[in-house]
Amino acid sequence: MDKEILDRMTMALMGASPTDDEMMASLDNQPVVQILPDANVVKVGGQSFIDRGRAAVFPLIEEIVENLPRHKMIIGTGAGTRARHAYSVGLDLGMPTGVLSVLGFFVSIQNAKMIHYLLAKHGIPSIEPAQFAQLPLYLAERQACVSVGMPPYAYWQPNPAIGRIPPHRTDTGCYLISEVLGARSMIFVKDEDGLYTADPKKDRNARFIPKITVEELEQLDLADVVLERSVFELMKTAKHRRSVQIINGLKKGNLTRALNGEPVGTIISA
Amino acid sequence: MSSSDTSFTEIPADGRHHVKSMLMRESLLDKKVMSSTETPVVRMLPFAHVIKVGGRSIIDNGRKATYPLVDALAAALDKFKLVIGLGGGIRSRHVTSIGMDLGLPTGVLAQLRIIDALGNAHLLGTLLAPYGVVAIPPEILGHMLPFFIKSAPGVICNGDPPFSIWEHPPRLGRIPPHRTDAGTFLLAECYGCATHTLIKDVDGLYDADPNANPNANFIKEITVSELKERNISTLPFDRVLIDLLACARQVKCFQIINGLKPHLLEPALRGEHVGTIVRQDAS
Repeated sequence: MDKEILDRMTMALMGASPTDDEMMASLDNQPVVQILPDANVVKVGGQSFIDRGRAAVFPLIEEIVENLPRHKMIIGTGAGTRARHAYSVGLDLGMPTGVLSVLGFFVSIQNAKMIHYLLAKHGIPSIEPAQFAQLPLYLAERQACVSVGMPPYAYWQPNPAIGRIPPHRTDTGCYLISEVLGARSMIFVKDEDGLYTADPKKDRNARFIPKITVEELEQLDLADVVLERSVFELMKTAKHRRSVQIINGLKKGNLTRALNGEPVGTIISA
Repeated sequence: MSSSDTSFTEIPADGRHHVKSMLMRESLLDKKVMSSTETPVVRMLPFAHVIKVGGRSIIDNGRKATYPLVDALAAALDKFKLVIGLGGGIRSRHVTSIGMDLGLPTGVLAQLRIIDALGNAHLLGTLLAPYGVVAIPPEILGHMLPFFIKSAPGVICNGDPPFSIWEHPPRLGRIPPHRTDAGTFLLAECYGCATHTLIKDVDGLYDADPNANPNANFIKEITVSELKERNISTLPFDRVLIDLLACARQVKCFQIINGLKPHLLEPALRGEHVGTIVRQDAS
């Protein structure tokens, strides 16, 4: 961009109204760069996966290691049952959403540490938000890096429309990493094959949905969904990551196939 | 709601190891479960007032805009506990435009903008240092706030929320939607503070940009749904505040006042109507 246009943009941004969305967008012409286009973001579920212990986690760790020669992975962790416990106690004690967000972050950190130690002998490091600047080096050197899944919103976590539970949790945190880095894929590893019309753990008539758009999903207005709803909202305005895949990590080979770009679970796109 | 029994539970045919709690085994995405968590919230700092001081509107204008406001803040600190968040101003706009030109995404721009607001926090912190009020780094502000605000008459911080690279991509363009108006509001809401005041260089909200349109009408008071309905193209605050206010449980309104009229500060802190008040819809 020549200097004149750049000056115009700065002047426009300096004007009294940086909230003039349309005007700002019209000046924003450059494509968004993909910061780490080769990286895959893999989120390992908390309640759905890590809480199952060795039986679920060890085979997945093995599969992650097998894929290191071919794929770069940022491995984010969910929180799970201890977060539910902390949220329950916190709600009973009158904690606001921002404090619950801090508690959820702590549980996600515990899970990240456990996954990290299981991968440590392969030289895989683990990072917290303050260390994100080291992420590219770790991926270049070691192909993978473990990260806390919860976004670091802490006391600034926006309230949900209903209830008190932080609306932006580990699905959202991992998804936003994949979006901001322009990552190659976003894979959610859970203990179900993907999205169903109802919670398959509670409803035997729940039907599997292999592929769906966010718009179709909104029309279905399901009482329960497999990912945090804010992921769907964010996908609609995303610049890069307009699709995500949910896979069943309990089935050996699914992660490998998903990393290879095959549909093995539910693909949600916007 | 009882969560005192924290025994470790393994449910047959589940395979997941649960800790017993109200939300055990529940999908936190189930609408019924979400509704069940609608519980009262404690107010951590009901005596503290959160103020956002504009970067472009106040600090960037130098001594002539900032010094009178500093005097008003110093006087107010005798009577009120203040949490003062700063905007990034012109440097934030500049780094945003360079970042956009370089193709950097929203999350990176959010990370860059925090630094300018922090610079302004240090400028104001220097001017308020004689009153024991200084800029606190964002890494320790959150959970230390109650301690600082009891120990000093006020604290200064960058107004941005710590969203950084986790900032949400906006509907249009790539400017971070959660800026310093939103960040200070979220902090006030979580801590259950008494008031949230935005200090700008205009009297409040108009139905058009008052600098561009001399016939713009002043709006003294407005609700969230009226704001959404009227869809005013130029707002003197972060647009995302409309949605945040709609979901607020503790801070149910905020006021915009003109910082070039510093005598309005104390009445605003007392809850008097001296600018534009934006309210949550009456429930």
